[in-house]
This record gives sequence, C-alpha cells and structure tokens, in this order.
Amino acid sequence: MARAAAQWLALLESGAATEHDHAALQHWRDSHPQHEQTWQKAQTLRQRFSALPQALAMASLDRPQPGRRAVLKRALGIAALVPTAWLVSRQLPIEVWRADLHTATGERKRIPLDDGGNLQLNTATAVDVDLAQRRITLVDGELALNLPGATAMTVQTRYGELSVSQADVCIRQQAAGCLVSVLKGAVQVRDRNGQVATLQGGQQAPLKAGGLGAWVPFDVSQLGWRDGVLTAQNQALGDFLRELERYRPGVLRWEPSLENLRVTGSFRLDDTDRILNLLASTLGLELQARTRYWVTLRKAMS
Amino acid sequence: MNDAVVSTHAPELTLSSLYRDHRSWLESWLRRRLGNAWDAADLSQDTFLRVLASAQPIAQMQEPRAYLVTVGKRLLVNFHQRRSLEQAYLQALANLPEACVPSPEQRWLVLETLQALDELLDGLPVLVRRAFLWSQLEGLGYREIAERLDVSERTVKRYMAQAYEHCLLVDL
Repeated sequence: MARAAAQWLALLESGAATEHDHAALQHWRDSHPQHEQTWQKAQTLRQRFSALPQALAMASLDRPQPGRRAVLKRALGIAALVPTAWLVSRQLPIEVWRADLHTATGERKRIPLDDGGNLQLNTATAVDVDLAQRRITLVDGELALNLPGATAMTVQTRYGELSVSQADVCIRQQAAGCLVSVLKGAVQVRDRNGQVATLQGGQQAPLKAGGLGAWVPFDVSQLGWRDGVLTAQNQALGDFLRELERYRPGVLRWEPSLENLRVTGSFRLDDTDRILNLLASTLGLELQARTRYWVTLRKAMS
Repeated sequence: MNDAVVSTHAPELTLSSLYRDHRSWLESWLRRRLGNAWDAADLSQDTFLRVLASAQPIAQMQEPRAYLVTVGKRLLVNFHQRRSLEQAYLQALANLPEACVPSPEQRWLVLETLQALDELLDGLPVLVRRAFLWSQLEGLGYREIAERLDVSERTVKRYMAQAYEHCLLVDL
C-alpha cells in the first residue's frame, strides 16, 4: 500500500498526471479506508517539509554524509578527545558581566563594554569574560579589544598575558602561538616566563612559549575583519583561500596549480559564497559545489 | 547429610538486577567511545529504556552484556548522526544574515523537526535523498532535478517513489 501511494505521489509531482490519472487516484483513495489513511500520512509528511525554513533545512539535511559505515566506525571507535558539546543554548545571547562568549565559524560579534570600549570576536572564537576582575581569557580564535579608558584590562592567552589600557589591540591565537598587533596606544606583554615587554602602536609581534618575538610594522588592512572585510594586495590565491577558509564551515579545496595566482581586492566577509564567485569570474576559474559545504575551485575548461 | 541442594542456575534476571549489575559497566563502555561522562550516562539510561521496551523477555537473556552492547551500539550511531545534524544546523544558522535568524523557540522547533526527518530519511541512497529534498524543500520539478543529477526524468520519478515509500513505511 505504501508502494502504491508512493507511485501515485511520484506521478502527481512529475506534472505528467492526466485527468484520467486524477480520477483513478480518487478511486484508489475511496476504495479502502487504509488507502485514504496512507494518503493523508503522505500529505502530513509533505507539510512537515514545506513548513521548514528552506535554506536551513537544506543545509542541515543535505550535509555531506560520511556514510553509515564510517559513522558506525567512528561511533564504535574510542573517542580520542572530549568532543565539544554542540548545544544550541550556547548560541543564545549571554550577559556580559561574567560570560563565556563564542562565535561559530563565519560569525563575528561586537560586544560593547561598560567603559565605552568594545570587544570584537572574529570567526570561531571563544573567550571567557570577567568584567569584575577586568580579565578576558582568549580560549581560542581571535579578538580585538579597543579600550579608550585608563583602567587596564588583562587579556590572558595560552602564551602569556597582555595589559591593555587606552589602546587598540588585536590578538590571534593559534596552535603555535599568538600574533599580537597593536593599532593604537601601547600594550604591556608578560610572557610565560614572567618577562615583560611593551609593544607600541603600529607594531606586531609573535608571542610564543619561548616569549615575545621581534616586532615588525604591519599593514592595518590585515585586520579588516573588524570591519567585516577581507583585503588582499597581490596575494597568492592559496594564502588568500586559506584565510578565507577560516570563515567558511565545510570543505574548500583548490587545484594545486592555482596556488600562486594573484589576488587583489576587498571582499565583504558577510557572504563568502559571493567572494568565491567573484574570484572564479575574475580569475577564470570554475566553482564546483557538491553541496554548499563542499566546494572545489579548478581551472575553467575552455 | 546431603539434603542441602545447591542450585546451579543463576538467579533469574530482572530489570533491576540487570540495571544494578551492568549499568556502571555499560556506562564506562560508552564513556570510552564518547569521551565524556554525561553523554555516556544519558545513553546508558536510553539503552535500559530500550531493553525495557523491547519484546525480548529479560528473564531469558543469555548474555546480558552482549545484548546491552548491541542496543548501545545502535544508540551510539544515532547519537553521532544527531550530532552531525546539529552541527550542520548550527553552521547554517551562523551563516544566516542576522535579520533572518529565527527566534530561540523557533530554532528548537525547527531542530526537532529536522531530527525527526533526518531519522526518517536515514538509509536512503544519497542521490535519492538529495532528489527528494530538492523536490520537497526547494520545490524543484523533475526536469530540473534530472538535469542537476545528470540522470533521466524517469529515474527521478523512480527516486521519488522510492523515497516516499521509504518514508511511508516508517511511522511518522
């Protein structure tokens, strides 16, 4: 019976059903209460689908699937790491006084502070904020802190801590260390060995387990994410895409031969699909999207 | 002198003895596979609930641990599938322009529906599933689906019938 109903549904939706078919379907539905019941069940199913927000549902239900066997293997393997708990509640706005804040991949957040300053979180970032202690712990990712006031705030990273007041600073934490960029004012850095050094506006330096490295001048456009922009000046495409990848959930791949093509321009981070389309059309590339989360760039066939 | 009879039969299993004797063992089995204690505790409760609800009489269970592991494995696979769905859902939410993000209650309702439908579609071949989703969610016609998948319209029709049949056989 499910099979018969399914055949009817497939015929109706094909758009090829004739009047005669419709009459025959009506006859089928009337001929047995269970036929009608199955038919109604199918209608309920269709309503459940049509009530969903389309883009969200498509991205979730058509996610790249590892396949049942792989899932089984992973499920039965011993977990190597404690997996991050993916709780929807963590996405909800939280009070700022004392909070764990985080952004998902592709998300950015600006949090105003009570003294007129503000804290910005870049993509895939987690911080603990304790305003009573005036301490921010950068757990993962990248933050920008602009503090016009004179009361210092401490930013704790895995590689040392920074004391910030009347300054504008950006800190990116990666596996091998942090990159500290001071835009305005001066920032005191204390490494894990207790050594203290000062970075001035316009200076950028790595902070690693071994301490603070030598500073270099830097270009503010590197920190364009604070304004939602990704900027490239004659940058290798591979480097640009690796940077762009931070903002995109899912898989982004490109042919090795594209690595050294040059990119120049400013791109809005709000829509990374659009950035990829722009790149493809200006560089003569082809975008292959298996799903929204699995995109490959290759040379266009001509 | 010989009238003390020693029974060679194990005492009959009941749900409470099963729970008492094997729960912490099952939990540590699950914890090793999940990497955390709270999910393991949840899944172990679920496992016992399934056992309670199943047709197999507990009293006749020969290898209680083997049985618990069989049920537990199935729940683990479902658990990972729910996780991957949640993850895809959250990423999709994060990609939405702020104005389009649904309210918190709405987010939960949508997630619940997605989970139910995800389970319902489980087991369908990838192309069948995708064709069905395009039709149901995006309202694509068979011709468009055929073009996107590079198959004939007749094949698309067969896919749709297959998907509908699969869904109708499961209780909604």
